[in-house]
Amino acid sequence: MQSIVRLSRAPLALTALTLALVSCKGDSITDPAGESEVITRVTLTLTPTTGAAISAFIEDADGNGPNPPSAQVGTLNLPAGSTFTGAVRFENRTVTPVEDITAEVLAEANEHRVFYTVTGAGITVNSTDLDGAGRPLGLRFTAAAVAGTQPGARTLRVLLCHYDKQVKPAVAASCTVDTDIDVSFALSVPNIV
Amino acid sequence: MIDEYHNPIPLSLVEAPASGAWRDGKRAARIAFAAAAAAVAGALSGSANVLQGQAGADGGPIGGVRRIHGELRDSASGSALRGAEIQITGPVTRRSRTDAAGHFEFARLPAAPFTLRVRLIGFAPLERVVDVTSGDATVRLSLRTSTISLDSITVTANALADPLARVAATSTVDAAELAATRGQTLGETIKFLPGVSVVQFGPSIAKPVIRGLNSQRVLVMNAGLRQEDQQWGTEHAPNIDSFDADQVTVVRGAATVLYGPDAIGGVVRVEHDRVPDGGSLKGDVAFNGFSNSRQGALSLGLLGGGLQLPLVGRTGYRLRFTSRVAGNSAAPDYFLTNTGFRELNGSATLGVHRPWGESEVMLSHFSTELGVLRQAHVGNFDDLQRSLSAPPPDSSFSYGIDRPNQRVQHTTLRVRSAFVLPGAGELEVVFGSQANHRREFDNHGPLRARGIAAFNLKLFTNSLDVRWNHGLQHGFVGTIGTSAMVQGNQTLGKAFLIPGFDLSQAAVYAQESYAIGRVTLSAGARTDVFSQTTLPFSDAGIRSEAGTRRWNGFSGSFGGELRLTDALTTSVRVARAWRPPTVNERYAQGVHHGTAQYELGRASLDPERSAAVEAVARYSTTGTTLEVAAYSNQINGFIYLQPRAPVLTIRGAFPAFNYNQTDARLDGVELSGTLAPTSWLRLQGTANAVRGLDRTNGGPLFDMPADRATLQARVVGTRPQLGNWYIGLGSVLVREQDGVPAGTVYQLPTAGYALASVDFGSANIAIGGHRIDAAISVTNLLNTRYRDYLSRYRLFVNDVGRDVVVRLRVPI
Repeated sequence: MQSIVRLSRAPLALTALTLALVSCKGDSITDPAGESEVITRVTLTLTPTTGAAISAFIEDADGNGPNPPSAQVGTLNLPAGSTFTGAVRFENRTVTPVEDITAEVLAEANEHRVFYTVTGAGITVNSTDLDGAGRPLGLRFTAAAVAGTQPGARTLRVLLCHYDKQVKPAVAASCTVDTDIDVSFALSVPNIV
Repeated sequence: MIDEYHNPIPLSLVEAPASGAWRDGKRAARIAFAAAAAAVAGALSGSANVLQGQAGADGGPIGGVRRIHGELRDSASGSALRGAEIQITGPVTRRSRTDAAGHFEFARLPAAPFTLRVRLIGFAPLERVVDVTSGDATVRLSLRTSTISLDSITVTANALADPLARVAATSTVDAAELAATRGQTLGETIKFLPGVSVVQFGPSIAKPVIRGLNSQRVLVMNAGLRQEDQQWGTEHAPNIDSFDADQVTVVRGAATVLYGPDAIGGVVRVEHDRVPDGGSLKGDVAFNGFSNSRQGALSLGLLGGGLQLPLVGRTGYRLRFTSRVAGNSAAPDYFLTNTGFRELNGSATLGVHRPWGESEVMLSHFSTELGVLRQAHVGNFDDLQRSLSAPPPDSSFSYGIDRPNQRVQHTTLRVRSAFVLPGAGELEVVFGSQANHRREFDNHGPLRARGIAAFNLKLFTNSLDVRWNHGLQHGFVGTIGTSAMVQGNQTLGKAFLIPGFDLSQAAVYAQESYAIGRVTLSAGARTDVFSQTTLPFSDAGIRSEAGTRRWNGFSGSFGGELRLTDALTTSVRVARAWRPPTVNERYAQGVHHGTAQYELGRASLDPERSAAVEAVARYSTTGTTLEVAAYSNQINGFIYLQPRAPVLTIRGAFPAFNYNQTDARLDGVELSGTLAPTSWLRLQGTANAVRGLDRTNGGPLFDMPADRATLQARVVGTRPQLGNWYIGLGSVLVREQDGVPAGTVYQLPTAGYALASVDFGSANIAIGGHRIDAAISVTNLLNTRYRDYLSRYRLFVNDVGRDVVVRLRVPI
C-alpha cells in the first residue's frame, strides 16, 4: 500500500499542477473588427465644374453582419449635359475615431481597383487616377450625363476589387477576384425645368 | 487498408517451420496465409472471429497423437475462468471453451507448434505459442482484466475485450495496416473501412465520416481522451500524429453510453501500445515520400523499459517525433495552389507496472501549418460564381504556405492509472488536459493587422474519467464509470466565428455483458448533464447572447450476439443517443469563405435525439470472411443548415443558411469480405451505401457520402531474404452522388468515378543484418480526373492525381 501512495504521488502532483495551470475560462476578448477591410459606409461625392458638390452614402452598420445595408442617404442628380469630378470614400464607422479605408486602398493601390458600372443610357463614368504601375485605380473618376439624354433613374454600381496575390490587370471590365465592396447607388437625370 | 501481411501471427508461424524445415516452403506459406486470412477476418469484423480448422476445411489430415491440456484463471483473483474461447492454430485449427473449473483440452493433434489464443469478454486476449512437436503440453494461463473501451491499450490483438465489439459494428486497423497508410492524415488511414468516408479539404484536411455523419457527431478518442480540438468545423481536421498510433478502431453507430454524446454517429479510437515494463530499447525510423505533393515524412519512435527513475523506480518509456512537409498537391492538369502543409509533432510517455496496477503519463504536442486552396476563398457570391465557372488557374509547385492558411497547436497531458482490485477487476482513472490553439489567417486584411489572425481560438479542456472495469462478477462483465469535463473557449481574433464559452459536462454510465450459451447480451445506460455558458462580445453588432443553458439526457443501448454456427454469428443492437447543440450551431454568424455561404446560428436549438437499430451478420471460415451490416438511424431534431433568403451586405450578396432542426433518418448497408481462393492470392472488397432523408420534406440530407466500393487483389508470398512480400492491385468505385438537397452550392451532383492503384512491398526484408519494411504504392494510377462529393474543393478543382508513395521503416 505504501508503494501505491508513493508511486501515485508524481501523477497526482502533475495533475494538480496542470489543473491549476490550464483551467482557463472562456472569453471573447478582442473587438471583432472584421477579417478583411471592414467597410461600413461608401460615400460618393460629385463635384460639378461650377456650384456645390453633391454626395450620397450607403451604410451597412454591421459591416459583414447579417443586417442589410441602409437605403441610400442623399440624392445624386446629374443634369443632362453636366460633368462632375467624383471621388469615392470608404469608411469603417464601427470604430472610434472613424477609420478611413480609402487611405488604405490608396496605400495598396497595386492590389485594388474600383469599378463603376452604370445601368441605363446616357451616363458615363471613367476612373481618372492610376496606381504606381500606371493601371487604373478608380478612387477618382469623372461622371458625365450626355447632353440630351432622357430624364429618369439610373443605377451606378460600385465594386471595390481586391487583387491580393493575383496580378492586377491593366485592362479589366469588372472584378475577377475578391470583392470587398458591392453597392449600387441610385442616380437620376432630372427633368429640365 | 485492411491488409495483414506484416501480421505478427503469421510471422511467428512462418518462422517456426522455417527454422527446421524451411524447404517445405509451400506448407509454411500456406500456414502463414491461413493465419493471415484469419487475422484479416478478425480485423474486418472486429469480433471474436470463429476460425475453423484449416485442415478440416481442406479435407486434410485431422488425426494426430499430441494433446494440449490447460487451465485458465483470473490473474487478479486466481479463480477459474469459465466459458473462455480457446483456439489453437497450426497445421489444424481447433476451438474450445473452458469448463467450470477453467479447464480445456485438445486431443489428437499433429506434432507441431501451435499458436494458442484465449479470449474472454472483459479480459485482455492472450496469445501463446505451444509446441507439441516432441510431446504433449500442459499450460497454465491467467487472464488480466482488460481496460476496456475508453482506453484500449491492452486490446491490441483483437477488439474482443471491447464490450461493444460483439454487438456493434467495429473495425480495427492494426499497426501493420497503419504502416501501409503512414504519412497520411488520420482520415485517410481509415477511409477504406466499411461505413467510413472522409470530408476533405485537399490532402491536408480530412475528417472521418461514419455512416453519413461527421464533425460534432463523430467522436475521436486519442489515447483514451476525447480529442477536443474545435472538432465542430468540417475544415478542422483531428490534430493527431498519424505515426503515433499503434491501432485505430472505428465503432460505427451510436456509442454514446461509453463515450458520451459526441459519439452519436460513431467513434474513431486512436490507440497506443502500453509502454513496456522491461526489455531493451527498441525503436524505428520511418520515412515516407509522396511524389504528388513532394511530401516527405520522417518519424522516429523509441520504446524501452527498465529506466531507473529516482523515487519511482523501474519505468517504461515511449517517445515519438514526427515531421511532415508537403508542397502543393497536383490534380491531373494543374497544381492546387496553396495546399501544402508542415507538421511537427512529439510525444513522450512514461509508465510503471507494479503489483498494484499501472500508471502512465503522456505529454504530446502537435503543431501544423496548412494552406487552404487559394481559389476556395472568395469575397462574395459573384466571386464564387466566377470561381466556379472559370477554369482552375495553372500554377507552379511550391512548398510555400501562403494565405489563407491555418495554424494549429494541440497539447495534451494525460495521466492514466489502473489499480488492481483483487477479485474485483480494476479501477481506472484517466485525467486529461488539452490545450488547443487555432488560428486562421485570411486572404488579406487591413494593412495594420495583416499579421493578426482572422480567427483565433483557444480551447482548454480538462477531463477526469473514473471507471470500474469489474471483470466477471456473477456472470456479468462490464464497466461502471463516471466522466467529467470542463472546457473554456477563448475567442481572440479580429473576426467573429464563435463566441467564447464555458462548458461543463458530467456523466454516470454502466455497460454490462452477459453470456448464456451461444448468446451474449449487452446493455448500457448513461445519463449526462451539460451546461454551456456563452460569453458574448461587448460589440452590439455581434448577435450572441450571454446566458447559460443546461441540458441533460439519457443514452441507452441493448444488443445481443447469437452464434449460429462456429462460422456464422449475428448481432442486433438498438441504441438511443442524444447530443446537445454545439456553440457554432447556436451562434455561428458569418461567411464561410470556401463556399461564400453565410451561416447563422440559432441560440434556441434543442438537442438532437437519435434512435437507431442495426443488424450485423459475420461469416468467417478459413480463407473466407464476410460481414454484412444494415442500420437505420432516426434522428429527431437533426441540426442542419437550412437555406434562407440571401444575406445582403455592403460586400454584396451571400447565399445564406440558418441552423435549423428537422427529423432525419439515415439508412445504410455495409459489406466487407475477404476471399482466398488459393494460398497465394487474396481478394478483398468493401461496399457502402447510405441514404439520408429529411423526413419533413422528403428530400435528401446534405453531405452524404456517395455509394462506394473498393476491391483489391493481392499476390502474397514469403522468402527468407525478401520477407513477407506482396503485389497488389486495387480499385475504388464511386457512384454518382445524385441525392443532394436543393438550394445549396453543394446541390451540384458529382459524377461517379473509378480509381486504380497498385502496391507492392515486403515486411522483414533482410538487409545487412537488419530487417526493414519497404513498400511502394501508386494511388490514382491512371491519373484520373475526378471530384468526390465530399471534397470541399470540388466546386473549384479536381481531386489529386497520381501519387507514388515510398514507405520505409527501419528498426533501430
